[in-house]
Amino acid sequence: MREEIRKIQEMLRGQTYIADAAVATSLYLALRLGKPLLVEGPAGVGKTEIARVLAAALDTRLVRLQCYEGLDAATALYEWNYSKQLLHIKLQETSAESADEKEARIFSEPFLLKRPLLEAITDPARAPVLLIDEVDRSDEEFEAFLMEVLSEFQVTIPEIGSIRAMHRPHVVLTSNRSRELSDALRRRCLYLWIDYPTFDKELEIVRAKVPALSASLSSDITRVIQTVRGMSIRKVPGVAETLDWAAALVALDTSQLDQQVMAETAGCFLKDESDLRRFESEMEAGRLDEVLDPTISHDNI
Amino acid sequence: MTISENESLLDNTVLFCRALRERGLLVTPSEAIESVVVLDLIDLGNRQETFLSLRSVLTSRREDFPVFEELFEDFWNRLSRTPKPRKLIERESEHQVRLSSTRRGKGLAFFLEHWGNAESREAESISTPVASSTVSMAEKDFSLFTSEELEEISRLTRRIVRRLARAPSRRWEPVRRGQRVNLRRTLRRSLTTAGEVIQLSFRRRKPKKTRLVVISDVSGSMDIYSRILLQFVYGLQTSFARVETFVFSTSLERITAHLKQRSYDEALGRLSSVQGWSGGTMIGASLSAFNSLWSNLVDKRTIVIILSDGWDTGEPSELAASLAHIKDRAGRLIWLNPLLGSPSYQPLVRGMQAAIPFIDVFAPLHNLATLRALEQHLVL
Repeated sequence: MREEIRKIQEMLRGQTYIADAAVATSLYLALRLGKPLLVEGPAGVGKTEIARVLAAALDTRLVRLQCYEGLDAATALYEWNYSKQLLHIKLQETSAESADEKEARIFSEPFLLKRPLLEAITDPARAPVLLIDEVDRSDEEFEAFLMEVLSEFQVTIPEIGSIRAMHRPHVVLTSNRSRELSDALRRRCLYLWIDYPTFDKELEIVRAKVPALSASLSSDITRVIQTVRGMSIRKVPGVAETLDWAAALVALDTSQLDQQVMAETAGCFLKDESDLRRFESEMEAGRLDEVLDPTISHDNI
Repeated sequence: MTISENESLLDNTVLFCRALRERGLLVTPSEAIESVVVLDLIDLGNRQETFLSLRSVLTSRREDFPVFEELFEDFWNRLSRTPKPRKLIERESEHQVRLSSTRRGKGLAFFLEHWGNAESREAESISTPVASSTVSMAEKDFSLFTSEELEEISRLTRRIVRRLARAPSRRWEPVRRGQRVNLRRTLRRSLTTAGEVIQLSFRRRKPKKTRLVVISDVSGSMDIYSRILLQFVYGLQTSFARVETFVFSTSLERITAHLKQRSYDEALGRLSSVQGWSGGTMIGASLSAFNSLWSNLVDKRTIVIILSDGWDTGEPSELAASLAHIKDRAGRLIWLNPLLGSPSYQPLVRGMQAAIPFIDVFAPLHNLATLRALEQHLVL
């Protein structure tokens, strides 16, 4: 493996983010090529976390734009501070300034409210990490606007003129695939798919994030979660749920995982009533026995 | 690396990119150039690293991965000079043959493909028997339609598009009169009167558009109805915020992108080349596949339309469970069944019986009258 990629992997590990080769390689290329990175995958596998960790590792600022339906350019880019403008006009009523001068004054930077996108490209010190979270939730109109910003890193405010990025931000986009993104946007980005982690990777994450949980319990719950993901349930638990569960077991001072403990704490990783019922019936049917039985569990899976 | 090695790397990369594009990936010359740049940044001796890097540049959705993996194998073998040289080329030509053979076949599919174009007049009439003219057009079964009569469907579609009602969305648009003040405009305008606000500007919510998810049975007998439904739905596209389309027979396939870019026919052609075309229908399994992969597409602003005759070879309980899930999430669940048009039909098929409790609208779809009736269900 290339030295730089290994370094990135270590850098992320330093922020307790366990990255596999695919994540590290994509980040390396995104940084080298200066392209946005589009991250897709199921909920709770650490898509958003990538940006957070990248910002911490690069020791720079994280600017986050949370997308939602109806998000428009005014909310994402800039807005004029209307009340301040009105006040200013009132205060200056008797001044000798002409209408043109007044207009130029109230449409200048002190009256501008910067929103995340403008914030990200006007950082004077260094390139921040710009996280455009859940871009699939915004609508097509916004996506088109976003593409314009991402390709030029330059925005035009009619009253002021164009503003060009002083430092090109590192851009990370995440999507939950609630709708198909346009091909144009996809082409503009490097692509990374993050799936549910393997047993080894997930165990490593649990150990790194919840060190207070004993080694045997950590591998027990990881094994249970991996089994649960194989069941036909509606809301498959992500890594975030595994960690919630681990933290809950620490708080409850649990020393051994048995059916009763699982039934009591299943709400940590199953967020749907029918899934809970399903889980309980699977548990009673004995599907989790070998996971729980200490005599066969540890070397078998 | 010698010059000739460099050249062959470049050639191979370009060939690789072209093969990927042939298979439907979003690869243009600019991605090809980028791949070459990337290969320079990484350790070419490391298979995994080369694989991951190129995948990150050359794919743009998870569905691209299998094709990429398959073709990467060839690419890598060529790079490491194991003798497997002509494979890429062969696959390309194979693909072209398949394309042109589907293009050659005209008929109903061809007609549906091209209606609205001027040339469509020359389309050959379909090969189904023409019914006697005493049957009134609106009542006539689609399977008996001639190409001129199919024109009627597109006219109907255009009429419906103009009529579909709209609810407010979360976006704003400026209007002359309204209830909410548009501050940006008001302030702008006040400048002409020395900062005194004399005239207010207003804004209102833009009309809301409903989303549509169509899951259509394309097994044997359903083919003609699904073609017509899909054509109808795509005619309505401008009235909806989004239309997502899936087809299934034994397994589920998402064809939204195919319908947008290429042709429905080609999409179907691909599908039939992949799967056993007439191997029974697995509605339950297909719908539960939809739920696990695509349930994000369904919310309370979404109308889900399922078109099928309900002949399921799978377990009725699976069908019931997946329908219950869709109904939970969707704004409305419509099941269209062409067999309902036959007066003697009773939904006795096991699958259909399991499905009925979860369906909001159970309607026939076999002639123009039923297509027209569908309109009223398309507004949430």
